[in-house]
Amino acid sequence: MASSANKNINAKLVLLGDVGAGKSSLVLRFVKGQFVEFQESTIGAAFFSQTVAVNDATVKFEIWDTAGQERYHSLAPMYYRGAAAAIIVYDITNQASFDRAKKWVQELQAQGNPNMVMALAGNKADMLDGRAVAPEDAQTYAQENGLFFLETSAKTAANVNEIFYEIAKRLPRLQQTPNPSGMVLVDRPTERANSASCCS
Amino acid sequence: MYGGSGVQGKRDMAMEYEAQIPVLRPSIHSRRANMMVKFQDLYEFTVEGNVDDVNVLNEVREKVRHQGKVWWALEADKGANWYLESFVPSTLLKSSLKFSTLVNAITLKKLIRKGIPPNLRPKVWFSLSGAAKKKSTVPDSYYNDLISAVEHKVTPATKQIDHDLPRTFPGHPWLDTPEGHASLRRVLVGYSFRDSDVGYCQGLNYVAALLLVVMKTEEEAFWMLAVLLENVLVSDCYTTNLSGCHVEQRVFKDLLTKKCPRIAAHLGALEFDVSLVCTEWFLCLFSKSLPSETTLRVWDVLFYEGAKVLFSVALAIFKMNEEELLVTHHVGDVINVIQRSTHYLFDPDELLTVAFEKIGFMITTNISKQRKKQEPAVMAALDQRIRRLNSLNDDEKS
Ligand SMILES: Nc1nc2c(ncn2[C@@H]2O[C@H](COP(=O)(O)OP(=O)(O)O)[C@@H](O)[C@H]2O)c(=O)[nH]1
Ligand SMILES: [Mg+2]
Repeated sequence: MASSANKNINAKLVLLGDVGAGKSSLVLRFVKGQFVEFQESTIGAAFFSQTVAVNDATVKFEIWDTAGQERYHSLAPMYYRGAAAAIIVYDITNQASFDRAKKWVQELQAQGNPNMVMALAGNKADMLDGRAVAPEDAQTYAQENGLFFLETSAKTAANVNEIFYEIAKRLPRLQQTPNPSGMVLVDRPTERANSASCCS
Repeated sequence: MYGGSGVQGKRDMAMEYEAQIPVLRPSIHSRRANMMVKFQDLYEFTVEGNVDDVNVLNEVREKVRHQGKVWWALEADKGANWYLESFVPSTLLKSSLKFSTLVNAITLKKLIRKGIPPNLRPKVWFSLSGAAKKKSTVPDSYYNDLISAVEHKVTPATKQIDHDLPRTFPGHPWLDTPEGHASLRRVLVGYSFRDSDVGYCQGLNYVAALLLVVMKTEEEAFWMLAVLLENVLVSDCYTTNLSGCHVEQRVFKDLLTKKCPRIAAHLGALEFDVSLVCTEWFLCLFSKSLPSETTLRVWDVLFYEGAKVLFSVALAIFKMNEEELLVTHHVGDVINVIQRSTHYLFDPDELLTVAFEKIGFMITTNISKQRKKQEPAVMAALDQRIRRLNSLNDDEKS
């Protein structure tokens, strides 16, 4: 009983980052497999849930997509309080959004759950022509601060499912679970979520 | 626009008005299959619902038609604009009022809780909210002067507004057109210069958009926004840090504990912070959560009775879902129960009856006291966060 309960994990996940970095687009891509140019703007935060299968466990993400205007940051603690994971998003074509991402990382390190799994997403990776942040810089920063880093594109879907899977795999509670079947799904991390998303 | 005409004219108006509220008739096919159907509500928002929802909406429309007749009959009886003189400012001593005025005021309060007919809404809101009075204190050209003075200015507020225009009720047949965007832009940009402490705060785009749809004239929508932010709502709801909104959240949590103790205890055990759903309600005044016709019924009362109405309605939403909420196990389930309930809340009377009859009294002075009590705690918490973040930045520099 206990072990089967262990295999179904609920994990609170929060997305933080500059306005326009693509937080909502990443969530929409992950949860519904869509990309929409003009979505309704988010007030406070929008909630979504999506379940992923990792190894022989399932992780149900309770996702909070926060809204970015500066004054709304005073609400952020309510969304990251108790979160098991965070994705900090910046736009690779916008240096200021990368600086802002670092601020979020600092805030989480100081105030968040110490076991939080943190991912850094360099989004809009499809817009290589406009690149302003070198992937090496982001990688170095991520390594120094204990995050893992991926460049993503909500538009093309590149690395979107991957970043959520990688988080799922790193959740401490999942790692404590005895895991005899090993890393079966790890090689093909997008398999399950593709049922919810369109092909690319 | 509506005043000045004789009884005959009014009757025509009433007839014409009934013609504007069509009965919704889903096809036989969709009725048989109990399919979800899409239709436009009275304010041209696209709504999705099943056949039961459509039936509810038709019943609601029947009631709206009935209320329309009641309002017209009262005009015929008490004289045009009778309700404008029935407004009892809280500063006036009740004893100094004429008995008939008091009777009218009581009638009006009941009447407003039953809904202002859509075609009277602009006029009644404009007067009873205090917007007309606010407008009368400045020269007639105020709005046009303001708009032309700020037309080409670029500020952080205007940039954010431009970003949000196409994302405000996308798909609405008027709001989501170049004309609608331009109109909404002028109202929001104009206001951002009127009050530079507020500037522009996300959420106001939805509020202003719905005001435009109701008021029809841009200038009146602007004044409604002004009276809302400056007189109706608590101050600092939308300024830096949203401190007023934080205060309201705390007051609301205490109210929930008092009025719905079982729900509060259950959600507490799930570590569910009710602000996760209420923040949007209080900042967008339900416009993003409830169907537009239901939202506007809430606003009818909000403009007459004040900001405490938002608490009553929020409490009612929890109360209506008590049984379902008590069996939830996860945060996600709570959100789903609440979101499903608000999204399909097509019967405003169902909501408002719970809000005003089942929840019990909320005395304005008590609420004010609670707000005063919470203010220092909110300020301290916000301050502490800023200070901690600043000290992080100092560490980085050193
Ligand atoms: N080219 C491209 N555009 C994107 C991508 N992700 C988001 N966008 C666009 O960037 C804008 C802001 O995205 P949004 O998800 O609303 O950002 P948020 O403010 O962080 O939630 C929108 O116009 C999106 O269509 C991406 O991966 N590639
Ligand atoms: Mg967003």
